[in-house]
Amino acid sequence: MAHSVSSKLIRRIRAYGAFDVSACFNCGNCTAVCPLAQDRGGFPRRLIRMGQVGMKKALLADEDLWMCFGCGECTKTCPRQADPAQYLGAARRYVTSCYDFTGISRLMLGSAWGQLLGFLVLSALFTLLLLHGGGVIDPKAIHEPALFKFLPGPWIHAIGVALFAIIALSMLTGVASMLWRTCGRHLREASGSLSLAALPAALAASIGDALAHQTHRRCDADQPEVPWFRRPWLIHAAIVWGFLGMLAATSLDFLFKPIGSNVPPWYPMRMLGTISGLVCLYGLTMAMVRRLRAVETPYRSSGFADWFFLLLLTATVCTGLATEVVVYLPTGSVLGPLIFLAHVVLAMDLLVLLPLSKFAHAVYRPLAMCIHRWATAPVAQPAARPAAV
Amino acid sequence: MIALGKPDRQTDVLVVGAGISGLQTALDLADQGYQVTVVERQPSIGGRMIALSKVFPTLDCASCITTPRMSAAAHHSGIDLLTYTEVDSILPEGAGHRVLVTHKPTYVDRDKCIGCRLCEYACDAEYPDPFEQGIAPIRAIAVPFTTAIPQKAILNAEYCMTCGSCARVCPTDAIDYDQQPVRESIQAGAVVIASGYALNALSSKPQYNAQRSGNIISPLTMERLLAPHAPHGRVLRPSDGKIPGSIAFVQCAGSRDETVGVTYCSRVCCMYAIKQAMLLSGALPIADITIYYMDIRAFGKGYEQFYQNAKAMGINFVRGKVARIEPVDSDDLLVHVEVTEEAAGAMQKRRHDLVVLAQGMIPQWNPSVASPVRLGGDGFVATPDATSPASTHVPGIFVAGTAAGPKDIVDSIAEAGAAAMEVSRYLYQHAARAGGSGTVPAPRRVALKLAATGSGT
Repeated sequence: MAHSVSSKLIRRIRAYGAFDVSACFNCGNCTAVCPLAQDRGGFPRRLIRMGQVGMKKALLADEDLWMCFGCGECTKTCPRQADPAQYLGAARRYVTSCYDFTGISRLMLGSAWGQLLGFLVLSALFTLLLLHGGGVIDPKAIHEPALFKFLPGPWIHAIGVALFAIIALSMLTGVASMLWRTCGRHLREASGSLSLAALPAALAASIGDALAHQTHRRCDADQPEVPWFRRPWLIHAAIVWGFLGMLAATSLDFLFKPIGSNVPPWYPMRMLGTISGLVCLYGLTMAMVRRLRAVETPYRSSGFADWFFLLLLTATVCTGLATEVVVYLPTGSVLGPLIFLAHVVLAMDLLVLLPLSKFAHAVYRPLAMCIHRWATAPVAQPAARPAAV
Repeated sequence: MIALGKPDRQTDVLVVGAGISGLQTALDLADQGYQVTVVERQPSIGGRMIALSKVFPTLDCASCITTPRMSAAAHHSGIDLLTYTEVDSILPEGAGHRVLVTHKPTYVDRDKCIGCRLCEYACDAEYPDPFEQGIAPIRAIAVPFTTAIPQKAILNAEYCMTCGSCARVCPTDAIDYDQQPVRESIQAGAVVIASGYALNALSSKPQYNAQRSGNIISPLTMERLLAPHAPHGRVLRPSDGKIPGSIAFVQCAGSRDETVGVTYCSRVCCMYAIKQAMLLSGALPIADITIYYMDIRAFGKGYEQFYQNAKAMGINFVRGKVARIEPVDSDDLLVHVEVTEEAAGAMQKRRHDLVVLAQGMIPQWNPSVASPVRLGGDGFVATPDATSPASTHVPGIFVAGTAAGPKDIVDSIAEAGAAAMEVSRYLYQHAARAGGSGTVPAPRRVALKLAATGSGT
């Protein structure tokens, strides 16, 4: 197969993270030390090689890039200290920006200022939009009606639905781009065949994996000294489960609970939201603490994209929890509606930035796992490799 | 300048280290008429080379090359050997140097000892023999090894039980339990540092788990297993004495790796691994032998042919850096490696009975704390002048062999000759400036003299 070479590739990837992968001499240490490399030929060395020699198309068509959960074992043992884990992170950001045809993602992931600017512009926009439909603070109103007098429920929902449509469209283009490239590669490769019969099983397994973190768990199997509550997979799972719980609570509220009605704290959806928020906050706190401490190899160098996503999510969760407190205060307050406004704006920011920020991995990673499972499903498996001596 | 007092001994050249480089330098200088003193920290001269089995690429017996040089040095009237002696400091003194040394106690009067070994036979205490890399025992009082020079017994105070058996059987009353270290001050015209190399620890890379398995061994241990006078007389693996059926050589296990702190190439590992693999396939004809390498550096004369021969002999060469060695049941070892030359690259776990780690070469001695000599970034003695490869930053102090950087025996001997030549030139120039004196040979018209004596007719 012919490859077209992009001489600027490694420079472009480097724009998404500081690392020195040019030091790599392709010894294969990273592959041999990777807990996930067993069934993926040459991963991650192959991906580093692609970056070094400029195989842009091959890199974009390789779903294995998303198979790394950043345990940092490769970086810790790399004989050239070329930081393969950091390279993979940067390559994922690069690939995300390539899948996004609008080019906004490049601005968002490539520079701290771009991200900040995007965040501020969006926040201002949402604030204006929301206030346009209401914006009157009634100091005498208490509990939930006070909030929805300030920001009318139907108006929030109208904006929300519009946003969901935009996000879905934008995410779909990225997903289509990824599917087109990766599935195309599998079909071109001699061993590859994508049978539709194998798709449902692969899809189910990948969704299950994304929820239960089975693959992620394999990454820290080698670190028995880390207590369970500090295991990287659990921290990540807490964020995922918490986020999904909050999403579910919000959606169920939208479907079943009359807008602006008062409910007690033990109301099922309210309780689900509270618990999910706390679980998510635990994960986020642990994630930020380990990035701040920067002791463990994978968190030694955190990019702005990492911090931005963590902080945005934390701010959203915190304002959400604060809104809940405000709702049960016996007296009205000016602060309540403002916290609620901040929460709604931040949540909208988070959703809009889904396809454009680090958050995109929430879609691309399960998708990549699904494609990989699909392509390597038993029907497509080549003749078994001779057993290791 | 500090007053150094009257020297106990005067010499033209002091050589630090009696390995192959030091001995070659000493012989080359002594043959020119210089008086040479060789200081060796071990109880015997011969260095690393005397413990090797064979040398690449000729597969000549290593001791057959070393012992003649050892005895030549021992019997040379121009060479004084100070064994079991450490160099404390090398201080500039005029154009020469004052070297302070300490003779470590051997607890045996070296003048009286006749090397009869009766003490060794009488001794009941044993410890792992350092000459045999610990795979065989040696008595607490013993002649260090069969071909040791000098053939004098030495007592290891750490393992001695002071039972008195040796003193009772010694025919010359040489045992002296109260011996103390003796310091000596030596005035030398020039100093040659030939202090050689050490290997970094087997456990340098924690992922190799060397501390968890006795079957992960040093290449120097493999040399002893393969030596003609090997302790067991055959190749047996350490943990259970089993004859290994599958042996792995893991290259770059202590070099070219920033995580172990040695970024340079140790240069000899590829070749000795190939040599050991060849010798193993002779010793264990049905064994599988695999060499895991990043690239084979067969740089010397005849080396590439040697490598090709090994491939033709059926030794497996697998390109890939071993990332992890996992001890598994039956004392075997699982080598985790990406076989990078396979089309897609394949992460494999291969099972072996015995693993040899190519440890990194590091300096044996740091002369910069004892002398004004400066080190390079790699920790070896720096040689700033490319046109005189044995010169250090200090006039009058020279360097030879692996003290200046990793190199093989061939290169060490060549560099030892170069060091001898530079020392000779240095001494001659300084003696000529001082008006010519002492044992420094006067300039002669050698060619004319040779012609006059009619040599070659």
